[in-house]
Amino acid sequence: MTTSFKIKSRKTMGLAAMQGRGFYYPFDLSFDSNNRIYVLGRGHDYDTRGCRITVMDMNEEYHGTFASFGTQDGQFMWPSSIVISNSDKIYVSDEYLNKITIMTTEGKFISSFGQFGEDDGQFDGPNGLVFDNENNLYVVDHRNGRIQVFDEEGNFIRKFSSQGKSEGNLNLPWGITFHSDDRLYVSDWGNHRIQEFTTDGEFVRSVGSNGDKEENILHPSSCAIDDIGNIYVSDWGNHKLKVFDKEGDFLCSNRGEATLSEWAKDFLNTNVEEKEARLKSNLDFDLEIFKNDPFKESAHIEKLFWCPTSLTFHKGNLLIVDSSRHRIQVYNKVYKV
Amino acid sequence: MSNNEILLMAHLMRRVGFGSTKDELNKYVKKGYDNQVDEILDLEPNYEVSNHMINRYQPDYESPMGSSANGATWLYRMVWSDFPFKEKISLFWHGIFATGYAKLANGYVLADQIRMFSKYGLGNYQDLLLHLSKDPAMIIWLDNCESHKGAINENYGRELLELFSMGTGNYTEKDIKEAARAFTGWTIANKDYMTAKSQRDSVWPYGRLAMHFEYKEDDHDGDEKTFLGETGKFNGEDIIEIICKQKATAKFISRHIYSFFVEDEPPVPEWPYKEPNNPEAIEALSEVYFDKGYNIKEMLRFLFKSKFFKSEKVWNKRVKSPIELVAGTLRITKEFSRPDKQQSLTNSHTQFMGQHAMNPPSVEGWHWGTEWLDSGTVVERVNFSSSKLGNVNNLGIRRIIDNIKSNISNQFTPEFLIEIVLEELGAIIVSKTTKDTLNDFVKSKIDSEKALTDDNLSEFLQLVGAMPEYQRT
Repeated sequence: MTTSFKIKSRKTMGLAAMQGRGFYYPFDLSFDSNNRIYVLGRGHDYDTRGCRITVMDMNEEYHGTFASFGTQDGQFMWPSSIVISNSDKIYVSDEYLNKITIMTTEGKFISSFGQFGEDDGQFDGPNGLVFDNENNLYVVDHRNGRIQVFDEEGNFIRKFSSQGKSEGNLNLPWGITFHSDDRLYVSDWGNHRIQEFTTDGEFVRSVGSNGDKEENILHPSSCAIDDIGNIYVSDWGNHKLKVFDKEGDFLCSNRGEATLSEWAKDFLNTNVEEKEARLKSNLDFDLEIFKNDPFKESAHIEKLFWCPTSLTFHKGNLLIVDSSRHRIQVYNKVYKV
Repeated sequence: MSNNEILLMAHLMRRVGFGSTKDELNKYVKKGYDNQVDEILDLEPNYEVSNHMINRYQPDYESPMGSSANGATWLYRMVWSDFPFKEKISLFWHGIFATGYAKLANGYVLADQIRMFSKYGLGNYQDLLLHLSKDPAMIIWLDNCESHKGAINENYGRELLELFSMGTGNYTEKDIKEAARAFTGWTIANKDYMTAKSQRDSVWPYGRLAMHFEYKEDDHDGDEKTFLGETGKFNGEDIIEIICKQKATAKFISRHIYSFFVEDEPPVPEWPYKEPNNPEAIEALSEVYFDKGYNIKEMLRFLFKSKFFKSEKVWNKRVKSPIELVAGTLRITKEFSRPDKQQSLTNSHTQFMGQHAMNPPSVEGWHWGTEWLDSGTVVERVNFSSSKLGNVNNLGIRRIIDNIKSNISNQFTPEFLIEIVLEELGAIIVSKTTKDTLNDFVKSKIDSEKALTDDNLSEFLQLVGAMPEYQRT
């Protein structure tokens, strides 16, 4: 008998909100040592209020927001990724300003580093961020097709990889994940694969490929690794969550199972007209017009992932930033059926 | 290759798209005029930058929450397409079937409508009207979702006849009501929730939702109707079929096509009282309409190869709409080689010039022609084109300046410089007055080859951007 696998949703958190409690095109999140979640909002060019960091926890308690759109210290234009160090300092990459900003968890600006360029310590679109066990910061320098490594203060240490399609090369990479066995997993967005490297930058292997089969991936944005080495991929272009085992063999996928978050319930409970109209609606339909167009399908069907940008494991929960739906879908680990 | 062939090709490319550079024009002329027309009509365009690329950097461009990202996304396609004819066709239909954000508060369904124009806008007109009648944006915009068996809302029936097919004077008030009866039951899925969200401009809980058509048999008036002299238990499809058979429809759509692609006609409300500029052309187009089974592409093939289109009398006759001006300028400057935050600001300029894409002033759309020009919008237009053409850091402008410098070596005369610059910008034809002005500038600023500095050429290009001829197509 063939063993099959499944991954199930636990709950959904968040709410679309231009300001205050909620997110507007969230791109990434990170936890501090007090288990608070810092959700990085991208906002958009026509409403920059969404460019902020929303603080919450797994119980959907709201702890305020900080940071804003702009070019001053502590402000962002196109924020892309957020990571919090062991010493509870926040690092945010900005792919427009080409710098990394360091802040306290209270939102106070500490410093920043980086500028546009190709030299060591310079960036052309810094994206994914991650720390290893030795507090080295890895920055996906995406248009330069490389990973740069810095210390906690932003001093350049080393770099690896280069732009290209061959094994070990990167093409507009996005997210980066560190696993405790000293391995790095880079979401090689333009090459439709996850690439595994040692922390020294040695290429180890590649997982996933482009194509029209279920195990294929299209423009992955992020990945996460569970405690037994299974690899979870946010298949951004197919709007799916994909799971591979530690050997890189495909296990299962999920198209999205969002439910109403506590914040969403609060909204509907105070906007009764909308709630009543919504209750009478069928928001989970199946129409031929959507076939082969997952983007369009996600635009119509609310529960589905729509441009998932980031995956994070935290205490057994897999948090998926569901960017174009302005929320976080929370899943359990993969299990055998 | 004669100069006239280049000028004719430049005229074609300005009308089917947003203009072409000198190198592109040379390439197209070698293919031959008729072959170029056929390629434009029959080939699918290629886009230099994919939707995935846009969406990665500017997520709102593909999943819009507000009113402006749609126009910005569309503008990207106009700039990044090798043949932006599909975008031009969508712009043409958007001007006629003008649908706006103000009532829908949902950018995605408006973007879907533009995609529909791109997909069906060159096909059979009957088919296009059918898709239009099922388009969720149109259904909300003209209240067809509020039209029910026994309680019609005649808004869509009226505009279908008045603005989308026949024009006033060719039908009766009774026809409008009968058409409205035939379209009862044509609505959107989850209508109450979708319209509640639109009315409240609600993005909650998880952003905007796309919409799709739904036919409600139990809300459709299936009784007998008499429409334009025919009687039957008509549904919406029957009404469209009857409309498309009418000579008035052929003439109406021909006049729209002529106005958009050949020369500006008066605003639509004046059509019953003013003869077309070229009645023979409208008649000829109407014949093609019937001969080719209401096929828009074949009407355009006829038009682009016709004498009246090729005639020098209509070159530079039309005033560029704001979108045409901005898209054409950005295709010259090539400043967006990848998704860029500045694109959003650039798109806003079309609004300042009086054309906010997917947000027309009314269901009648915009009045084109010289109505684009007033003291405020002219300043905005001139400032935009001058500043863009004068920025030597823009990739396309850099290339033009390098070409000018290399082509002029050892042959400098003011006249030759003016000729080269106008050629590089897409074979622009200018009046004697404009040429004299350009000549005065060159003589005062660029009196020799040594004076061909970036600064001086930038200033010269700014002056060209301010010429009345640059504002025309």
